[in-house]
Amino acid sequence: MGGCVRPRFLGGYTQQTMNEPLITLDNLSIGYNNQAVLSGISLSIARASFTAILGANGSGKSTLIKTVLGLIPPVAGCINTASTNAPLEFGYVPQAFHFDPIYLLTGFDVALMGVYGRVRPGRIVPKIERAFTRECLRAADAEAFSRQRFAELSGGQKQRVLIARALAMRPDVLVLDEPTEGVDREAKDLVLEFISCIHRERKITVLLVTHDFAAVRHYAEQVIWLHGGKMSLGSTHELLTAERMAEMIEMGMA
Amino acid sequence: MEIIYQIFSPDFLLRNSIYTSVLVGLVCPLVGVFLVMRRLVFMGVALPQISSTGVAIALSLPLWIGFNLSEHSSHSAHMLAFMGSIIFSLTAIMVLAFLERRGHGQPEGRLGTAYVVAAALSILLLSKNPYGEIGWLDMMKGEVITISNFDLGLTAATLTLVIAVMGLFHRELLLVSFDREMAMILRKKVIFWDVLLYLLIGITVSMAVLSVGPLIAFGFLLIPALSAHMVAHNMRQFMVLASLIGGVAAFLGFCIAYRFDLPVGPTDVVLLGFLYAGTWIIAKIVPHEGLRHTT
Repeated sequence: MGGCVRPRFLGGYTQQTMNEPLITLDNLSIGYNNQAVLSGISLSIARASFTAILGANGSGKSTLIKTVLGLIPPVAGCINTASTNAPLEFGYVPQAFHFDPIYLLTGFDVALMGVYGRVRPGRIVPKIERAFTRECLRAADAEAFSRQRFAELSGGQKQRVLIARALAMRPDVLVLDEPTEGVDREAKDLVLEFISCIHRERKITVLLVTHDFAAVRHYAEQVIWLHGGKMSLGSTHELLTAERMAEMIEMGMA
Repeated sequence: MEIIYQIFSPDFLLRNSIYTSVLVGLVCPLVGVFLVMRRLVFMGVALPQISSTGVAIALSLPLWIGFNLSEHSSHSAHMLAFMGSIIFSLTAIMVLAFLERRGHGQPEGRLGTAYVVAAALSILLLSKNPYGEIGWLDMMKGEVITISNFDLGLTAATLTLVIAVMGLFHRELLLVSFDREMAMILRKKVIFWDVLLYLLIGITVSMAVLSVGPLIAFGFLLIPALSAHMVAHNMRQFMVLASLIGGVAAFLGFCIAYRFDLPVGPTDVVLLGFLYAGTWIIAKIVPHEGLRHTT
């Protein structure tokens, strides 16, 4: 990755008070078609924190972040955000294999979608937004392959383009859904190091869904652990005890 | 060359037919690109047929209620057919797309059934309709010969509107097709953009069916887009190339049909088939990236 190059448009996060709750889930039930997968979720995510969401397949990790993102309505309860004037901006990084390869989009085309929220329908994307997208691609070390077809990039390259796209949204919160899934070990370390770097340098709030136990230990400050329809929240030291790690290894998560 | 001179001559009798064919050839692939990208190819097969059933029902309606359509102008018949076509197209695309999104049942089975029932119903209705004998059955077979100035004007105006809307909102239509979740996070009105896209597809299909028949409409919706996809490198090339393949095939098909006294529709579709095969061979022979960077 290209280190923590801070695009000048992306500054400003250091001015915010850290440890201030940015997102609060109040007695939240999540699920599909009014069928709750998880209930009674009450927690706060602090501004500029790095939170990992851990859990086995089907434990509700993706459902939880999709509910936070507003893609799925909550079954019950509510989500409050500590945004002052404008609504909270989420930069979402979905899993790379989520995209249909039939679309003839280059890496740049995909990253440019991050600025679409600021361009009114029917208007041309301004030059400044294109320049900003290139800057985000450069920051994510994805500029070299941004002219190649997105579908033909490797898993790690796709993730970098998707991270650049999320940065182009000028997010308050970066939400990543298993960004290292299907990525080789070396690329996995680079992706995680880059996310951690953005978090440290820009004081950006990170919500990371992962199976990668090592990533959680290295980078996350707090962990949301979903297991058997229940949720636990704590710091990595509190939550990742020897017993729990053994339990996770048994579940095939590590 | 002589044929081309004849075709471009101001007093060429079938000039409205060739203009209409080329218009349909240029515009249908543009909406076809979205059908291909959204993996709705089967919908591209079923929609023109369902649309033609709408035409058949609309033309049978006056007969059923004892109204003599032949006493009125052909414009009335055309408008009636247009209404039938557009109502059926839009209803079918909305219902089928809704069922597709819900993900229940077998979409291919549903579309196949809709196609075959619509085809049979069209033939049944038109065979019992006196207007079927004065050109509508020919239209269903793809005989593009009786196109009035009014028909041409209506087709040109509608398809120009489709191109304008598609060009203006291409970014939004592409975003909701490629990454719906991202569009929702960006607070785009995804239902609105979906409906707009279906509306554009429905209008284009109706216009194409009414002007050139379901066979050509189907051919121009999908084959140019599928051909262009094999050689294009980006979305702009994909759209432009698909439209050009459609336009050129429509023109050449008309010239061939005129020269050898063949029905235009089937000639166009067979020509599109050859173009598809030719593009496939080119894509295999010419180095992949080289071709893509030069197109």
